[in-house]
Amino acid sequence: MSLPSPSRMRGVPFALVLTAGGGLVLATLPWLLSDFLLALALSCLMFAALAVSWSMFCGPTNYLSLATSAFFGLGAYVTAWGLESMPYGLTVLVGGLVGAAFAALIGLAVLHLRGAYFAVITFGLTELTLHSVTYLEKTYANTAGRIISEAPENTVIYWTVLAVTLLAIATAILVRASRLGFALSGIGGDEERAQTLGVNTRRVKVIAFSLSAFFPGALGAAMAVRWTYIEPLSVFNPFIGFQTVLIAMVGGAQTLLGPIVSSVFFSLLTEFLRLRFPYAFLIVLGLLLVVLVLYLPGGLASLFVRRGRQHA
Amino acid sequence: MGFWLELAASGLITGGIYAVVAIGLNLQYGLMRIMNISHGEFLMLGAYLTWLAHTTLKINPILLLPVVAIAMFLLGVVVYRLCFRRIARAAPTVEVIEARSLLVGFGLMFLVQNTVNLIWGADLRGYSFMAEPVDIGGARFMANRLLVFGFAVAASLGLLALLRWTMIGKAVRAMMQSPTGAQLVGVDTGTLHPVVFGAGLALAGVAGGLLSMVYEISPSMGEPYTVTALIVITLGGLGSAIGSLLGGFLLGLVEAFGMHFTNPSLKMVLSYGVLVAVLVARPKGLFAR
Amino acid sequence: MPEALLSARGVSVRFGGLTAVNGVDLDVHPGELVGIIGPNGAGKTTFFHTLSGVLKPTEGRLVVAGDDLTGRAPYVYAAHGVARTFQTPRVFRDMPAADNVRFALEFAGRLRRHAHDAFDDVETILGFLGLAEMAAVPAGALTPARQRLLEIGVALGARPRVLLLDEVAAGLTHTEVDATAQLIRRVRDELGVAVIWIEHAVRVLMNYVERVAVLHQGAKIADGDPRAVARAPEVIEAYLGEDGAPERIAA
Repeated sequence: MSLPSPSRMRGVPFALVLTAGGGLVLATLPWLLSDFLLALALSCLMFAALAVSWSMFCGPTNYLSLATSAFFGLGAYVTAWGLESMPYGLTVLVGGLVGAAFAALIGLAVLHLRGAYFAVITFGLTELTLHSVTYLEKTYANTAGRIISEAPENTVIYWTVLAVTLLAIATAILVRASRLGFALSGIGGDEERAQTLGVNTRRVKVIAFSLSAFFPGALGAAMAVRWTYIEPLSVFNPFIGFQTVLIAMVGGAQTLLGPIVSSVFFSLLTEFLRLRFPYAFLIVLGLLLVVLVLYLPGGLASLFVRRGRQHA
Repeated sequence: MGFWLELAASGLITGGIYAVVAIGLNLQYGLMRIMNISHGEFLMLGAYLTWLAHTTLKINPILLLPVVAIAMFLLGVVVYRLCFRRIARAAPTVEVIEARSLLVGFGLMFLVQNTVNLIWGADLRGYSFMAEPVDIGGARFMANRLLVFGFAVAASLGLLALLRWTMIGKAVRAMMQSPTGAQLVGVDTGTLHPVVFGAGLALAGVAGGLLSMVYEISPSMGEPYTVTALIVITLGGLGSAIGSLLGGFLLGLVEAFGMHFTNPSLKMVLSYGVLVAVLVARPKGLFAR
Repeated sequence: MPEALLSARGVSVRFGGLTAVNGVDLDVHPGELVGIIGPNGAGKTTFFHTLSGVLKPTEGRLVVAGDDLTGRAPYVYAAHGVARTFQTPRVFRDMPAADNVRFALEFAGRLRRHAHDAFDDVETILGFLGLAEMAAVPAGALTPARQRLLEIGVALGARPRVLLLDEVAAGLTHTEVDATAQLIRRVRDELGVAVIWIEHAVRVLMNYVERVAVLHQGAKIADGDPRAVARAPEVIEAYLGEDGAPERIAA
């Protein structure tokens, strides 16, 4: 082979080093920031991880998954059910694995659907999970919610969420450079064509969907201890899924940096608007969203990336 | 006997409203691939318009329905012009139209819902209208519910008739089957799209007006109807107006009997279970050939 | 005769009441260059879909390199060395031309080496097709003619044993058509790949293939030497409905 290693492999070590470096800097924040600002940083990190992991699968394939809340909620319930018998770090890992396993299961059943069908069914599955957990808790545990009595320190939560976020970013970098990522963009371009070129598209999709669901599962488990009271309606809140999609798409789901920038932008903007316009802030947010989609359809990332598209 | 009739009737009454809401959304989706997630907000707006005009001007809400329909239709044309036309023109593929219209829909949802919240507050509002019981065949109904049912069915059937027998209806159906073919024979999407989008909003507004006669209203009342409409559309098939009508009634009945025969807390599990099962087994809808 | 590389046995495809392909048998051996012709709606493309696994035949069997692949997914066919082009080029529009070829090399092409090391990497394939300059251009921004060429390049990247070409000459000028035909011949000559080539423009095809099969109303009505086939009465009759048919068949 005369060609050097594919161009997409270039820059991977640099991106990983940058991620690790950024992580080290962010790890010092608990000593630098007030409680309020640290909480804000935590929410930035959480949404960055959610949006990056969502974009990992949905960006290249053009699928629109609204199932993030389901993975997040299942992770949170792993903590709610297991924190008494497991250390915190282990619940985070198990939460991620449960999210990934659930995604693999539903992926096998529904990944043949596309477009609006896939969006609706992932939303339906999230609601189905929410109401099933509600029903199970009511019937077998006779409870509507659960109280988390022993929560770790806020700084421990912050570092845990930071670790999950860094892992999500590193995974996204590696997936983009791997054959898996290449296959995913082929599936997004023309799934049948990718099949005729030797890609077992079903297997690729299930693997990637499952991998991308590890992170919301882990985050749900990690964040659950922030609330003292866990109930299905709060941790399976479909809004978490919507917000993830919004952030990822406003940032530009095809890119890696877009969702990260956009999650910081959104978390800060939401906080700013909430303080500045306590009553009208959701109106402003809605208006901004409409304007962004209409006038910046490529996402925030398109502001930084200059498109070199010649015509031939 | 009377009891079963009441149960079936209550299912059909809810189902009638579901059908009206779903048909509007389905037409928008079938024709333009606009997944307007803010559909329920316009239903809520219709309900507030009816409530406002009735309580301040003391106009009979039935007479208000055409006014609401026209107002919402015009609003729909404006919303289409301002938001969705640009998306349809700029997007390279249908999938992109779906995704972007979904995002704009979320934006509109925040915008409309919170604007109403800011103006009238989050409290439940309502008025009493024809709230007297009527006996039919040994079963007892509230007069206003029968009225709502009648109007819902009339609106749905009227729309189906329009689609079947008028030129514009034929154009809409042609566009849904073959956009390029319809354009070749001279169907003008420039006027058709805003008109159909407006018609969808008009239907949502009328449904809201009808609901305000029976239930109390609040700024967050619309969201569940959006979700229900999505379920109904899936049951009946994306793009099929008749499917939505049947799907609406079916879901109304399933909910009514499901609630009666099973644990009420299982109701949501059942509804979403049905949705997921239908999507997995028959993604083109229950009635697809 | 050696064992057939690709063998279709009694393949039928029905859509509801309509029979698109009706009991077609076809054996293709290594290194053969076979044309498939037929009037509009003869079922050529539908038959091609079954040969590449894109469509499951209602009846019949498909054997590739000795393995029965009937009913298997398209990627299994690709893994067995069946590569195809589509009538309307289906390149990955957002990817650069080079990545389109690389995609084929990394998936279907990963499983085999070409018999000959010509056309064995992105550069040589693009160069062979005259697309070297276009390597970095997104495929969707290429002219339709170049997308057709790239489509062939993608199929070559799959390092096929059997190459299925679906109307690759459609919409090209006379010179472009001849150049494409030369190219296909070189692929066969240098790599020893079997080629099955569907074309609606019969004249070109008859000049370049050594064997031609004729489909009419879904059934195979002739199969053999192009000159003999062109004189067969049932072939002439099948084409009579079409304008200018006799000239188009005459080689």
